[in-house]
Amino acid sequence: MFEVMMYDGGVYRSAELFEAIEDVGGTVLHINRSAQMLMVTMSIPEEDRHVIEGIAKEIGGDIRSVPLAGTEIAVIGCTLGRHHMPHPVCDIAEAMRQGGAISVVMGLARGRGKSTSQISKREISIIDEYDAAIFMLGNFKPCVEAKRTLLEDISAPVILVSGPMPDGMEDCCEAIVSGVGRKAERMKSSEERAKLAEISEAVNQVLLRKKRQLEEDPLFIHPAELKLLLESYEPIDMCLRPAPIVLHLDGLRVKIPYREHKDYFDNLEVYGRKLPEIADIIESKLEDSSTLIKIRTMSQIEDMDRQAKE
Amino acid sequence: MEIDVVCDDVYGGEAYGKLFETIIGDIGKSFMIAKAKLVLKPEVPLFVFSVILKNAPGCKTMSDAVSFREEGDELHISISNERYAPDVLSNLWQKFGRPNVQQQTRFDLIVTGAKQADVEDMVISTGEEAVEEILGAFWRALPEGIRVRDALIDGKVITVVATEEIMIQERKEMGLAVHKEMIKEGEAILDV
Repeated sequence: MFEVMMYDGGVYRSAELFEAIEDVGGTVLHINRSAQMLMVTMSIPEEDRHVIEGIAKEIGGDIRSVPLAGTEIAVIGCTLGRHHMPHPVCDIAEAMRQGGAISVVMGLARGRGKSTSQISKREISIIDEYDAAIFMLGNFKPCVEAKRTLLEDISAPVILVSGPMPDGMEDCCEAIVSGVGRKAERMKSSEERAKLAEISEAVNQVLLRKKRQLEEDPLFIHPAELKLLLESYEPIDMCLRPAPIVLHLDGLRVKIPYREHKDYFDNLEVYGRKLPEIADIIESKLEDSSTLIKIRTMSQIEDMDRQAKE
Repeated sequence: MEIDVVCDDVYGGEAYGKLFETIIGDIGKSFMIAKAKLVLKPEVPLFVFSVILKNAPGCKTMSDAVSFREEGDELHISISNERYAPDVLSNLWQKFGRPNVQQQTRFDLIVTGAKQADVEDMVISTGEEAVEEILGAFWRALPEGIRVRDALIDGKVITVVATEEIMIQERKEMGLAVHKEMIKEGEAILDV
């Protein structure tokens, strides 16, 4: 399985690091160079970690794991009102970013209230675009349990964060972290930081399960590899939005409109095949200026080939 | 500020007590409150927030916050209560114009062409503002979905009864009972 790691060090002899990443069959996801300092986010095979660690040590840099890198996570509050934002939703989003993920904060339009809270079909389809969704609910057990209807129809893995431990919600979410309810101040005490670390670990475990599933039936092309191909396209290269390409576990979000660049996406060649043959390309539900690419697995491609022959 | 929380949900009760304390502290009104009582019934749902103020909210005039000294056509003003400094300054600017109000130091002002008699009864803060701010803090502390609210104000006691459902008489009476209890307790607390 591939592991995402970050090198933090100097530029001196960094060419050796890049060479080693290539030798072990890894990919560079992101390079951030500032004067003589260099930060490289890379994806490398798990079993070759010691090779990269050895080289990093030799050239005087540090290697650390960023387990959530290459994922996009939605942190969802009941609404965007001051009752639910910015704390603790933004504290959780910040913890996700520290773990290497791209995190997005969202609020439901009508998520407040015990018996009046609701979620729309459009909101569900937007949440389903992400690798995981962290739902932040409140302090009262009956209210948290009454809001299970908000989570039931979401297909993306849901991590529920609430004050008390709710009963009977295990079937509608992948993980539950209790002890973090509604707050009006930053989570900065040591106990609260430990809770944030617990949430990060819960998300990591959920994503790990998804990664293991993908390992059993791998994608036709790794999203990081496809990213390298897409980066050479001028509208993406010139895109001023932060992180114009966001990696997902099973694809990418490209922040250019699909309708305007349909021809490019339809004709892009990947290992001798057109992109639409190996991936589902769809317009994002969140906004029409983003395109979602969901890469098909090897078994799906083989099945398609078989059907074409018949 | 003493906070009394009545709630069957241990976690929720503790969390809301802390939340209420933080929010009242954020708006800078903790010093005005002698006691707060929160009755939380999320299973109904019914929430009653009630506070006893240290003093009944009333108008503050210029003479409550400053001291005066007249010299010729100039009025020297010394602010004795810093909390009202912005209100003192903005009221003087409004009445005499900025060029006629000189701020010598943080607390010392000279107003040209003003007499003590013209200034001393100017209202710099009404009691309503404080009550509005405390009610605002209640709205903020109450759960967002609990939107049907009723406010009861009697002298030093402010109470809000809130629910998500229709405010039936029974719920109103529960809030009123807490309000009356707080009025009784308030009588025993001397004004500061």
